[in-house]
Amino acid sequence: MDRRAPVGIRFEAVSKHYGGVRALDRVSLEVEPGEFLTLLGPSGSGKTTLLMVLAGFSRPTSGRVLVGGEDVTRTPPHRRDFGVVFQSYALFPHMTVAQNVAYPLRMRGRPRAEIARKVADALALVRLEGLGERRPDELSGGQKQRVALARAVVFEPRVLLMDEPLSALDKKLREAMQIEIRRLHERLGITTIYVTHDQAEAMVLADRIAVLRDGALQQVGPPEAIYRRPANAWVAEFIGLTNFIAGEVAGRQDGRLVVRTGVGTFTCQGDVPGGPVLICVRPEALHIGATLPNRLRAVVRERVFLGNLLDYRMEGADGLRLRVQADPSQAYVPGVSVDLAFAPDEAWVVPAAGG
Amino acid sequence: MARAATTVLPPLRRPARRRDGWNGLLMAPTLLFLLAFFVVPYANMVYMSVLYKPPDGPYLRVFTLDNYAQALGDLFYWRILANTFWYALLTTAVTLVLGYPVAYYIARAPTRRRGWLLMLLISPLLVGVVVRSFGWMIILGRVGLINTFVRWLGGPELPLMYNVFGIIVGLVHVYLPFMALSIAGALQNIPPDLERAARSLGASPWVTFRRITWPLSLPGVFAGTLLVYVLAVSSYVIPILLGGNNVLVMPIIIVQKLLDAFNWPLGSALSMVLFGLTALGVWAYVKLMNRVLRWTAP
Repeated sequence: MDRRAPVGIRFEAVSKHYGGVRALDRVSLEVEPGEFLTLLGPSGSGKTTLLMVLAGFSRPTSGRVLVGGEDVTRTPPHRRDFGVVFQSYALFPHMTVAQNVAYPLRMRGRPRAEIARKVADALALVRLEGLGERRPDELSGGQKQRVALARAVVFEPRVLLMDEPLSALDKKLREAMQIEIRRLHERLGITTIYVTHDQAEAMVLADRIAVLRDGALQQVGPPEAIYRRPANAWVAEFIGLTNFIAGEVAGRQDGRLVVRTGVGTFTCQGDVPGGPVLICVRPEALHIGATLPNRLRAVVRERVFLGNLLDYRMEGADGLRLRVQADPSQAYVPGVSVDLAFAPDEAWVVPAAGG
Repeated sequence: MARAATTVLPPLRRPARRRDGWNGLLMAPTLLFLLAFFVVPYANMVYMSVLYKPPDGPYLRVFTLDNYAQALGDLFYWRILANTFWYALLTTAVTLVLGYPVAYYIARAPTRRRGWLLMLLISPLLVGVVVRSFGWMIILGRVGLINTFVRWLGGPELPLMYNVFGIIVGLVHVYLPFMALSIAGALQNIPPDLERAARSLGASPWVTFRRITWPLSLPGVFAGTLLVYVLAVSSYVIPILLGGNNVLVMPIIIVQKLLDAFNWPLGSALSMVLFGLTALGVWAYVKLMNRVLRWTAP
C-alpha cells in the first residue's frame, strides 16, 4: 500500500459536558505525524469520549480539534477521512468480507479494478487471503478484528482510530494481535490513536501514552517515562505496582531530594518543591540484602511464586506495607526479617496532596 | 458484547429444526383452541358457501356453486374488492412512512425513555375501537373540532369524514403501533456502531441509512407491513363508522349479506373470495420477502 504523508493531531482545550457531568475537561494534546499514541485510563475516564470527538461522532462542548493544521471540529465524520476500528468490530453483517473491505473505496467512487486490487492487498496485509467471500458471522473473533482493521486502512485514511479493539479476544490472541498492529503501523506509518484500559497493552503498542482520569489529562509521555516518572500518585498507582512511602522533603543534595519518612531518610529523584510527598518505589526496585544508599528493614508476611519471580508482601516499621518482587533463586520464608535497599534513581517523589 | 436486546417482535428467521417430539405438546392447548373457535367455524363457512339460498329462508342443504358465480360474476363485488385492497395498501404505506422514524427514535432512545415511548405508542390500543372511532368523528365531523376552527377562520367546510380520508385516518391511528413496534424490534438489533462505522468509512447520513440501516431493518419492515395489511383488509368497524356507507369495503358488504339480507350462502362465498385473494397476495409477498431477505439477512 502506498504511503501518504502522515498528519499531526492537536486537541485545544477540548471539553465535553453531558448535563452536569464533565466527560472531558479542557484536554490539550498534541499528536505527532505518524505517531502511535494510546489513550489510557480506567472506564469513565473520558478516553472513548475523546476518540468519539476526534472521529466526529460527538461534538465537543468547547475547544477545537485540528488535523494536519486544519480545524475539523465541525466536519461531519464521513468527510474526516479517518479509519475507525470499533470494540464490537462493527462489520456489516449483510455484506461479505470483501464487500466490507471494499465499502470505503466504493463510497469514494473508485474504479472497480482499483477496488478489487486494493481489497486483495488489504486482506493480504492482515493475512486473510481467500476469505473474501465469507460472511462476517462465519469468522472467528480474531479474523473479524483483522477484517475491521483491513477495512479501516484500505482507503489510506489520514488517521487510524482504534477503540479497545482487542478487548473481546483471549489473552494469547490479544498479544499476537498487538504485535500485528504494531507491525502494521510501522509499515503504513499512519498517525494512530488507540484507546485502551489495559496498561500492558498501552506499553507494548505506544510511542507515547496519554493517561486520562475523570476527563482530565494526567500525563503524556513515552511508556518508560510514565512508568519511571509518574506525574502524580494516581498515575503511579494506575500504571503497574507501586510502593508508596509517605514523608516530607528535608532538603536537596546533588540535584536529588532528601526525604524524611517514618522508616528512614532517603535520597530520591523528583521534581517537587517541598512539603508532604510520597516516594514511589516499584516492587522490582526493592532489592533484598543489597548495598544501596537507601535502606530499610521489613518482615516477610506472604510469599507467592509467580514463575519468573517471587512476589512478597512485607511489613516495615510503622506498619508500612511493601510489595517486593525478587529473583526466585533466593527465597525468604514468611516471618523472616530482611534488609531492603533501593537506588536513588529508582525512587521517584510525587506530591502527597491532590493524588 | 452482550447487549440486552429487548426485542419487541422477534425478527423473521427460520427456527432451528429439532427432533424433539414432546415439545410439540406445548402447542396442544393453542391448537385445540384454534380448532374449536377458528377451524370449525371456518369449515362451516366453506360448507355454507356451497349451499342453495331459497327466497324464503337463509339456506337449504342443497349443493350449488351459484353463490361463487354470483360473487365472482358481478363487477360490483370486484370494485369493492379493489377498493378494500387499495385502502389496505394505502394504510400500510402511510403507517410505514409515519412509523419508521418513530421506530428509529424509540430504538435509539435510552432504555428508560424507551419504556415510556412504547407506552405512548400503544396508547391508541388502550381505547376500544368504537370509542376511538367516535373520538375521530368528533374531530373530523362537519361540526367537528377541525371544521369549526376552519369555519371560524372563514375557510370552507372540509370533507374529512364519511370518505376515504376519514377511513385512512382511523386505520392509520390503530395500526401505526403494529408497524412501529415491528420495525423498532428490528432496528434495536442493529448495533449503533454499524452506523458509526459506515459514517467513518465515508458514507453520508443518507447513504448510511440506505446501505446499512434500511437493509438490516427489512425483517421488521416486512413483519410490520404484512401485519398492518392483513388487519386493514379485514377491518369493519372503522370503515363503517368513519366511511358512513359512502365508502364500501368487503367486510361491510359481507356483514350486510349475512345479517341484513339474511343471505348466508352468498355472504360466506364473498368471505371465501376475500380470504382467497388476501391469502394469495400474502403468499406472493412472503415469497418476495424471502427472496429479498436471502440477500440481506446476516
